Amino acid sequence: MRSAYVENWIHNLGVIKDAKSFLKADWISKDQYEKIGETYASPLYHPNFLIRILLFVATLLGISGVTGLFALFVAQGDEVFISIACMAYGIASFFVVDKLFIKDKKHYKSGVNEAIIYHSCGFTIGGFAGLTDFSTTPFLLFSLVVLTFAAIRYLDLICTITSFGFLGFTLFYHFYEWGGILQQIIPFAFIICFSIAYFLSRKYRKRIELNLWNDNLLIVEALSLAVVYLAGNYLVVRELSVNLMGLALEGNEDIPFAFIFYLLTIAIPILYLWFGVKNKDLVLLRVSLIVLAFSVFTFKYYYGFNRPEITLTIAGMALLGISLSLFNYLKVMRSGYTREKLLSEKWSSMNAEAFIISQTLGGNQVKVSEHFEGQGGEFGGGGSSGSF
Amino acid sequence: MDINTLEELRDKQLISQDQFNKFEPVISGKLVSLFYELRTLLYLGVLLFTSGVGILVYENIGEVGHIIAIGLLSLVTLACFWFVVTKGVPFSKDQVRPPTPYYDYIVLLGSLLFISVQGYLQFQYQILDENLGWSTLISAVIFITVAYRYDHIGVLSLGITALASFFSLSVSPQKWYSSEFLETANLHITAIYFGAALCAAAMALDWKSIKKHFTFTYINFGLLIFFVGATAGLFEGLLYGIYLLLIYGGCAFAVFYANRERSFLFLLYAFVFAYIATTYLLADWVFSEVPELIFYYSIISCGGFVYFIVSYKKFFKRKE
Repeated sequence: MRSAYVENWIHNLGVIKDAKSFLKADWISKDQYEKIGETYASPLYHPNFLIRILLFVATLLGISGVTGLFALFVAQGDEVFISIACMAYGIASFFVVDKLFIKDKKHYKSGVNEAIIYHSCGFTIGGFAGLTDFSTTPFLLFSLVVLTFAAIRYLDLICTITSFGFLGFTLFYHFYEWGGILQQIIPFAFIICFSIAYFLSRKYRKRIELNLWNDNLLIVEALSLAVVYLAGNYLVVRELSVNLMGLALEGNEDIPFAFIFYLLTIAIPILYLWFGVKNKDLVLLRVSLIVLAFSVFTFKYYYGFNRPEITLTIAGMALLGISLSLFNYLKVMRSGYTREKLLSEKWSSMNAEAFIISQTLGGNQVKVSEHFEGQGGEFGGGGSSGSF
Repeated sequence: MDINTLEELRDKQLISQDQFNKFEPVISGKLVSLFYELRTLLYLGVLLFTSGVGILVYENIGEVGHIIAIGLLSLVTLACFWFVVTKGVPFSKDQVRPPTPYYDYIVLLGSLLFISVQGYLQFQYQILDENLGWSTLISAVIFITVAYRYDHIGVLSLGITALASFFSLSVSPQKWYSSEFLETANLHITAIYFGAALCAAAMALDWKSIKKHFTFTYINFGLLIFFVGATAGLFEGLLYGIYLLLIYGGCAFAVFYANRERSFLFLLYAFVFAYIATTYLLADWVFSEVPELIFYYSIISCGGFVYFIVSYKKFFKRKE
């Protein structure tokens, strides 16, 4: 399937964004940046994040007006008519965003597009669900198709995430419904399926002709890794078995194959970390750190949560120790790793960091003033960052 | 960016061969920076450690283990400051490049632990039990001093929030939502003074070119406190004309600053608060007489808002 956008324009936009990060890192001069900007001019309307959110909200408000009118027209019909009308309305709004906003107005991820796309997905899926009497399997499959379509055609990341979620849930639901031995092998089926998804998305991400979908594939890659881990995580398997499959555990009883899940809980993060470091794969590396933390949580969950403040202190000390020693270790470049900042991440900003610090780290003094005056001088910063 | 695009840039002679050779290992992933990963770990470490310690110091007071723990904590604090002082660069009015990539987190850890220790000591020995609020003032002074000496915006914003809470103002949006901002009567007047003073101080320091990169944080806190205070005053209803003028004045300043910094955020503040004030005024004057106008007003203002979002860039350009 092709994207609704002109590939070249998006490519140009990407080049300009990268050139901006080069400029920030002092890699290229201002002159060079401006020349690149001229060569790679792109007519797309692609505002910054804050504006996108505002436009998104404004568009939703506008759409709700249109939807209200639409509801007035169809409210008299019977159920089938309403369902069909909803589907038609959803599909029509796909055309509106496609022709009017993307083709004519050249919006690209502007907030307006997203609002209309989600709205169309919602109405198309809702109408279909009404037609099929809200039965589960057709609903799941149809949602999967519509969301995947939106994700691919409009390069939308939230649609990618939701369709990924629908894929996972569809698998889970059917294994669960078929029952018997299939219920038992859900974790292993998930591990196999999403390992395949991981390797496929990693492979496709390297293809030049799929460059446009790089971010979508990246998300699928990271989510697949997370799902593979969660499917083998002891906490997840145990709690789901108890709550969903009605497994009754008494006394010292453990779930079937408990040792496998214990092993996976420990082994998968280490495996991720190992391959991440070895192949310089930042996706693996970042996911491995998150799942490692979750593994620690899993073991703490079953073996003692009595003294959270001691856990906090020790965990904090460990993190400080590890990160500081790694910083020192990487003082010189070692096997292609460096501690120096090479390029700025898109989200990094000095003011934003300060904002996060003031929101999260001010808690220490509250204790004091509460003891003193009993009228809690509350800390924690306000405001937001925003030099655009 | 991938390696093909980089080659394309070179072939179009937008970057030189030297630059290409320099960028190539980074773009192709042969050279990987762990800067952000390690700093995230460091941040989490500081977060967990200081919150753990913040609870621990008030537990088991009087036991031997506790005294040892406080001793160790003081040692860690000293170690942090020793590191900060020995590695630190001399004071400068401008932004300073940190000597190591983790230097600023040691500054942060040191000052947070120092606050913990001094808070504990005051609690234990009741040094200031006459004037209890002074404890937060001391925290604020320490934070701000450290922030200026070692050039740290995060510590500065901690200092500003501590200073605000010395005047019993809470600088936390969640609190405003549950309207705890105005727990004491007439606090909104304090808020207006405080916010205005903060902005004035920021502009004065900016004008003197002392730590110009701090200005954003000052103005951001100052304006928000000012606006929330003035809006609260407005809704009290008495003498609301004064608050109305104050809000418009604040908006004018926000627009001026937004223009200078080309920052959309401040323009948005100005828009939102001016909108609230104007709506209040209209509600009092016009809508109470002709309620039908509310409908048109909401439609027109929605349209105006969208127009504002889409065309704000032109606003900046025109002023150039």
